[in-house]
Amino acid sequence: MMLSRAAENLYWMSRYLERAENTARLINATSQLLLDLPRGAFFGWDNLIQIVGLGALYQQIYPEPSEANVMDFLVSAQRNPGSIHSCVKYARENCRVMRDVLPRELWERVNAMYLASLRQSQNRMGHVERRRVLQDMIRDRQAVSGLLTDCMSHDVAYQFLRLGEHLERADMTTRILDITAAVQLPSGPNNAEHPAAGLLWVGVLNSMSAFQMYRRHGSNRVDGEGVVSYLVRDVEFPRAVIYCLDEIETRLANLPHNMDPLRALRVAHRRIDRMTGEDLAPHRRHETLDHIQEDLARIHDSVAAEYFHFHRGQAPQTDEARSA
Amino acid sequence: MDLGLERYLRSDGFDEFVAPDGQPRPAARALCNYLMGLAGEDLQARRAAVDAAIVTMGITFTTYGDGASIDRAWPFDPIPRVMPAREWAQIDRGLRQRLTALNLFIDDLYNAQKIVKDGVFPAELLANSRNFRVQCRGMSPRFGVWAHICGTDLVRDKDGTVYVLEDNLRVPSGVSYMLENRILMKSAFPELFEICRIQPVDGYTDALYGMLAALSPRLGERPVIALLTPGIFNSAYFEHSYLAQQIGAQLVQGSDLLVGSDDVVYMKTIAGLRRVDVIYRRIDDDFLDPDVFREDSALGVNGLMRAWRKGNVAIANAPGAGVADDKVVYAFVPEIIKYYLDQDPILQNVPSFLCYREKDREHVLANLDKLVVKPANESGGYGILIGPQATPEARRQTAERVKADPRGFMAQPTLTLSTVPTLIGDGIAPRHVDMRPFVLQSNSLYATTGGLTRVALPEGSLVVNSSQGGGSKDTWIVEETA
Repeated sequence: MMLSRAAENLYWMSRYLERAENTARLINATSQLLLDLPRGAFFGWDNLIQIVGLGALYQQIYPEPSEANVMDFLVSAQRNPGSIHSCVKYARENCRVMRDVLPRELWERVNAMYLASLRQSQNRMGHVERRRVLQDMIRDRQAVSGLLTDCMSHDVAYQFLRLGEHLERADMTTRILDITAAVQLPSGPNNAEHPAAGLLWVGVLNSMSAFQMYRRHGSNRVDGEGVVSYLVRDVEFPRAVIYCLDEIETRLANLPHNMDPLRALRVAHRRIDRMTGEDLAPHRRHETLDHIQEDLARIHDSVAAEYFHFHRGQAPQTDEARSA
Repeated sequence: MDLGLERYLRSDGFDEFVAPDGQPRPAARALCNYLMGLAGEDLQARRAAVDAAIVTMGITFTTYGDGASIDRAWPFDPIPRVMPAREWAQIDRGLRQRLTALNLFIDDLYNAQKIVKDGVFPAELLANSRNFRVQCRGMSPRFGVWAHICGTDLVRDKDGTVYVLEDNLRVPSGVSYMLENRILMKSAFPELFEICRIQPVDGYTDALYGMLAALSPRLGERPVIALLTPGIFNSAYFEHSYLAQQIGAQLVQGSDLLVGSDDVVYMKTIAGLRRVDVIYRRIDDDFLDPDVFREDSALGVNGLMRAWRKGNVAIANAPGAGVADDKVVYAFVPEIIKYYLDQDPILQNVPSFLCYREKDREHVLANLDKLVVKPANESGGYGILIGPQATPEARRQTAERVKADPRGFMAQPTLTLSTVPTLIGDGIAPRHVDMRPFVLQSNSLYATTGGLTRVALPEGSLVVNSSQGGGSKDTWIVEETA
């Protein structure tokens, strides 16, 4: 038995935590990438902000897209609802409301994450410190995930936690994959891809803890098509989009009234199944990832309509229904 | 560490820890020896660990009008309050006696009103009671019990007598802190639990569940229990969520519930509507049902009273139970016990002056600098005048209020609340305490072992409410060793 309001809280708690983790990964990917950038290359800080879909808000707060500003915006800015600090704060609020359902250690861990984030948000960080803070955050987030797996009944509440987590993860994976679009490399000899391009993709894989697995299970070469294909279509790597969709399907299968959300899920699945090499080529890549993001948004809408918003139609004999 | 016991006793009040001869009382002896064997830094370190645990565990309470931060860490003092088991046993009997009588009283008021007809309880007091709900007339909840959960405030005066200060019968709070305090103490001072024979407190949540389950209208089925909270901005939200978790209840807000045309209460779940059998409500009567009480209430549920009157849902505490949670009614509790149980009260009432009686009122107005004046129907320490500590202006204002609404006020002599050693800065100093045990009643009676000890942290202060600078301590009921 799960209240609609409770289901929504759990779902968002998970989404916020996952978003915080993936924003940390996105930042790490960016930092890696900057270190490997060859002479003559250009990195567009404003592109990074576009990737997370927060361009308009950024412009209201900061005069220009500089590294320091963008990092502050993504890590600690209170005014950015998508900053890591804000995400952890919202996750904690949702967790606090749901303390009756969640294991006690989970609340304590999320609360500790928030307290740490609050301390760190007071001052601007240098590279080294930022890296450490983000690693800690990711580790805490993994501890939360472990607690859910091992210390909580895999009940209805659990289904909503995992549902939110995987929807968010799939979405963020597509955004992180888009990050190389922010880099403009000078052309290599004969207009071929610049030799540094491969290094950038290594950075992307590392940021998603995917390099090792890519080596074992992905294609031989590390290049754009290979990495995007792997992180979208690999059914075994847990941060790949298709893996997340399969996970969402499993969770939905355990819930009542799942027809509409499952239908939305199949649409997303089918698009990826039908994807060709052409769809992953550099000039089409951004558009392809955009389409996946739209499909994911539709799954969310359908889950929200089915479970979070009470339908009067479900209650033929109530006052609310009679007066409706 | 050197506890400095010879310097410690300063007032003429009663200290729970140290006897007037400067020696620890028998029940506190083991604890005292332990503390003296502990290095001062060690105690501070453990206090720091406890404070950190409170922040990490997120044990919080909320104060109103605090702006940005809505929850604050719970102030906890690591030196427990100790009471001998023999003394507690007597108090325990008194608490059960008191709640039994109060429930008979409430049930009578809403039905035959024999106590009024017999001239024991004045009719005009009932007529002017703010918490008497006409909508509850003629109701007879199961077991005749209206106040299922009672928080009784106890204080000890300078002669050592324990008095009942008030009976909280509406939505008493604090029990979660009692339970958390024990967990904190066990983690910070595990060895103490080997040295001292401390009675456990953790039976409460089982008893609470059992008490609520016994109220379910659908006998024989596993009852669906919901804890109705005003939401996250309420000062006791932490407790609501804690208790819901402990008893396996659904934590619901008014908007999660609805009443069908079949007069049954349902909650809105992801799989549609589910019937609710028992509501442990943590919102006041006024907000329960906009159809019947305050129309502007956004916290309640339309039709809830209808469902309750039909017997389709149990509500704890029952609507209207607050009629006995009135500081003027309080003054009649000894008569109430005598009337219904034909027993002498085991627990003492503080002598009270009821301002609606002309003679009492004159006495109160003439002695405002000596008395504590309380509004009949407030809780949380709001609106109280502590005469000896108040400014002349505050006394004048209270005098005006009393004259304008005599039924709304009562006064009591200023008690010198007993003290307990409290960690203040680097040393130990006496601070005033009260104690709130929680008593449950449905098919049987249950009382907590000890209760929540609240401590007024500023020197000399007598106000223990957390909203006004109070903290808390673990409460130990200990078997005395010879």
